[in-house]
Amino acid sequence: MLTVLLFLPALGAAFVALLPRAREHDARWLALAVRGATLVLAAVVFVAHESGEPGYQFVDRFEWIRAAGAGFSVQYALGVDGLSAPMVLLNGLLSVVAVLVSFRITDRPRAYFAWLLLLETAVMGVFLSLDLLQFFVFWELELLPMYLLISGWGTGRREYSATKFVLYTLAGSAFMLVGFLVLGLAAGSFDIEVLAREPVADAAIPLSLVFWAVMAAFLVKLPVVPLHTWLPDAHTDAPTAVSVILAGVLLKMGGYGILRIALPLLPGQAQEFSTALAAIAGLTVLYGAVITLQQQDLKRLVAYSSVSHMGYVLLGVSALGTTALAGAALQMFTHGLITGLLFVTVGLIYDRTHTREIAELRGLMHRLPLIGAVMVVAGLASLGLPGLAGFVAEFTTFVGAIQQQPAATIAGVGGIVLAAGYILWTVERVFTGPPDERWSGLTDATAWWERAAMGSLVLLIVAVGIFPRPLTDVIRHGVEPIAAVMGAA
Amino acid sequence: MIAGLGTIPEGALWAIYLAPVASFCAIAALLRGRPLAAGRLTIAAVGLTWVLSMWALASALHHDGEPLALQAHTWFSVGGFEMAVGLHLDGLTAVMLVVVTTVALLVQVYSTGYMHGDPGYARYFAYMSLFTGSMLGLVLASNLVQLFVHWELVGLCSYLLIGFWFDRPSASAAAKKAFIVTRFGDLGFLLAVLLVGTKTGIFDIQSINELAHGGALGGAVLTGFTLGLLAGAVGKSAQFPLHIWLPDAMEGPTPVSALIHAATMVAAGVYLLARFFPSLDAAPAEVGTLVAYTGGLTALLAATMGVVATDIKRVLAYSTISQLGYMVMALGVGGYVAAVFHLFTHAFFKALLFLGSGSVNHATGTFDMRLMGGLSRAMPVTFATFVVGSRSLAGVFPLAGFWSKDEILLDAWIHHEWVLFALGVGVAALTALYMFRAIFLTFLGEYAGGEPGHGGAPHESPASMWVPLALLAVPAVAVGWLNVGGGFGTFVEGALPEEMRHFEFDVHPVVLVSSTLAAFGGIGAAAAIYLYRSPPPERVRAACGPLAGLVERKYYLDELAETVVVRWALHRGIGRAAAALDRVVVDGVVNGVGRLSLSAGDAFRRAQSGQLQAYTSMLLAGVVAVAVLLFVFGGEVLAE
Repeated sequence: MLTVLLFLPALGAAFVALLPRAREHDARWLALAVRGATLVLAAVVFVAHESGEPGYQFVDRFEWIRAAGAGFSVQYALGVDGLSAPMVLLNGLLSVVAVLVSFRITDRPRAYFAWLLLLETAVMGVFLSLDLLQFFVFWELELLPMYLLISGWGTGRREYSATKFVLYTLAGSAFMLVGFLVLGLAAGSFDIEVLAREPVADAAIPLSLVFWAVMAAFLVKLPVVPLHTWLPDAHTDAPTAVSVILAGVLLKMGGYGILRIALPLLPGQAQEFSTALAAIAGLTVLYGAVITLQQQDLKRLVAYSSVSHMGYVLLGVSALGTTALAGAALQMFTHGLITGLLFVTVGLIYDRTHTREIAELRGLMHRLPLIGAVMVVAGLASLGLPGLAGFVAEFTTFVGAIQQQPAATIAGVGGIVLAAGYILWTVERVFTGPPDERWSGLTDATAWWERAAMGSLVLLIVAVGIFPRPLTDVIRHGVEPIAAVMGAA
Repeated sequence: MIAGLGTIPEGALWAIYLAPVASFCAIAALLRGRPLAAGRLTIAAVGLTWVLSMWALASALHHDGEPLALQAHTWFSVGGFEMAVGLHLDGLTAVMLVVVTTVALLVQVYSTGYMHGDPGYARYFAYMSLFTGSMLGLVLASNLVQLFVHWELVGLCSYLLIGFWFDRPSASAAAKKAFIVTRFGDLGFLLAVLLVGTKTGIFDIQSINELAHGGALGGAVLTGFTLGLLAGAVGKSAQFPLHIWLPDAMEGPTPVSALIHAATMVAAGVYLLARFFPSLDAAPAEVGTLVAYTGGLTALLAATMGVVATDIKRVLAYSTISQLGYMVMALGVGGYVAAVFHLFTHAFFKALLFLGSGSVNHATGTFDMRLMGGLSRAMPVTFATFVVGSRSLAGVFPLAGFWSKDEILLDAWIHHEWVLFALGVGVAALTALYMFRAIFLTFLGEYAGGEPGHGGAPHESPASMWVPLALLAVPAVAVGWLNVGGGFGTFVEGALPEEMRHFEFDVHPVVLVSSTLAAFGGIGAAAAIYLYRSPPPERVRAACGPLAGLVERKYYLDELAETVVVRWALHRGIGRAAAALDRVVVDGVVNGVGRLSLSAGDAFRRAQSGQLQAYTSMLLAGVVAVAVLLFVFGGEVLAE
């Protein structure tokens, strides 16, 4: 089941690539069909897995490389639990949205959609892997389509940004690989389940170094201050769909890695350094928010706001309790929806105005009431308005973290005032004011794919905000074992 | 008749809250193109909540204002943290329900006239429905988080409605300012919620109050908690120093000002403190003193600014801030009943005054009193009701405002808070002065022509507007008598623990005489200066010297907040420094390292023909590294 889920998009990518040139415009339909099917599978997995059961479900496993002499083996192993199921669903969902917002792509559509589909498989692989080396392979695999999509279909300094993105990630993952190898060789297994059951007590190099080596990759990906400068560049120059996936799903690989690997596999070190993580989290929230206030480019602004919001994920992580970890996992999911939607609307605005300079945009609400209203909803969700998804995640994080990390939590709560500042100020500058002559010819979102992309995300943001229980019940069972390990260590 | 129905069931209480929310959803989803239907649906929904609220009131009266036992439901739960939702009904809730639904209903009816023909008519009623629902959710919440959720939602509605005419830059700016300034207060409130939730594990309001009252919750936690609540109230109820958003909020449509920025939402801060009065009472005395002086200082500052404002709505806005200051002051000196009672009476006469100013605007096209004058003949109903409202606000016997304001002064007197008492009497005089100044400038003297280009002679507003005015005049006159004998006080004290119920209706001759003298002194001064011009206003202003300039510039508090704090400190200082740091240092280091490694890899790169290959090689290098390591460490790799 999970194998099908994992490789369906890759298979689709092959078919898309093999489409005859005459039918290259059907690539988008094929991509949509494949991703639709993937989303259905992801939803089935999300609903059908028994959240009450401990451990991984739908496990597919066989031995890939066995090195009996060295006492270890590498496996192909997939599984889901309450932590990965929401991420799988999010990936499936935003992937469909990404195809929808790409419906206007006419430049080499076969290649574009093929890479986009391959990206989905790579990210799915990260969320489903139960083996460290397999995790690493998918982690690296994601870079290839990202690099090509940004440099091939982006705007502005796209090659610079794409290269920067790759170099940053590679630098991080080099450390991660070393960390994984040390851990795996010390335990004789790369199986995440085995390693989590009996955390490594001693290894070739001090475990605290291993911890930071592994964290390096995750913290770059999340990203946290000061490892964040690749993000605004990558976003600004990426095509809309790639921004949606990048902010919506790829950043979550960092948070997911921390929750899945760094914490359970190195619980002692996680506790030892929890205050340092909290400090980084507080800094990321506040610094990210202050920088966001300075942005003149709409897309850069949303990108920097993501940096600030990812600080909340790390804040939840640093507190190590069930509630805080659940808050972090929730924040990953809700931020995916919210920032995905923000990038969709920014992309739709850019499609129409061909500028992202906030100073040039004004009074757009007169011409684009639907896009404007949707962006206001997304913005309000982003600033943590109750009734929308972001609040549930942030509030849970705060409740969970304030006891263990009071200073960082207070910094985090301070971040919501700044968030109100940059969101509302942006809305004021871009959408309100008298109608502008220059934009009098714009048309609102009328195409079905634009409306479907926005509508589905708005619906989910409201649904999670009002009735979060189905999601929180799943996530709770995903983080309880991690919190239990942390409590024992 | 209502009594025959028995106690209101929980389902009907939920309907009070959900009917306007449903109306909002229906308008947003279906009625965007049908404005008249949107207006009617809103009125029907609010009408239903009004009827149900009366039922709730009857039920609460039947229980002497004591809480009804209602169960909470689980919203979501994570780990040891369970979020509940539930409803709470007692004397205080019932009073708030009556205030909110009555004013909301009359304001919606008025809005059908005032907003007639506006292109955003349907959107207006959608927001108004959402506001009414959120406000009712706020007062019915049994749980602190639930209260906070609705607290934020009413703030959202306020934001949307202040900025309703979004093509006006001033309206958009005012909306943003309102949301952000109040969010500073919300920050304190949120921290209070988190603090008490993590220290006690409880979010249920009743239980928190019981813990505080019983002494189980105390010390630094209780102090921090109550200070956080105060911060929330300071933001929402526009108390010094966060009051600066409310005058600007007058950019919204006038019925919005009447409902949200006079009668209901801005009173939510006072409601919050009243709701947690047992906690406030158990907190150290210094907290109470801080609350009292915050209110007293706000009342005074706002009243002085009301005297110099030239925009009739801003006069009313400053008046609202000032009256809210009275209520906060009352809570600080232990006058729970007085505060709630003043909240109750104030809602009616201040909504009346705002709607009156809207009626005047309808006729003249302006809110600038310098362009008005002499409207009493053309607009008899507006004039008469405005005078009634002003007298009630000024505290003239025997109107509603007289009773409730005296109750506050009495509390200051019997608690020996002489400074606050003197402050309160001074504010009473200023209140009479600015209200009658407004009356004289607006309704008496010669008509100054109204807004240039607003054609035609002024005329009375349509019935949809003057009927609500006339209806609101009734409570503005009469509701003060509800507490003569102490009936109101006993009812709202049902929300308190038994040992805290000790309200007795009383009048004190010193209080009575000083407040009445203050009211007539203020009215007399207004008449002398603005009606008979002896001395003329210009002379009075000159005599006040630099003080007048200081007050006219609103004590420079707006400049302090906007220019110094936001523009200089946050934007130019921290923001630019951080942005520069980000660009030059953080990114510079990274790019430096990047360049270094790129030039090192140049030879390698030149061997390749393009980007794709370069990249693929990098990727392969990683995979190969894995393979090599496997070979090194494991002899039998791939052998099997």
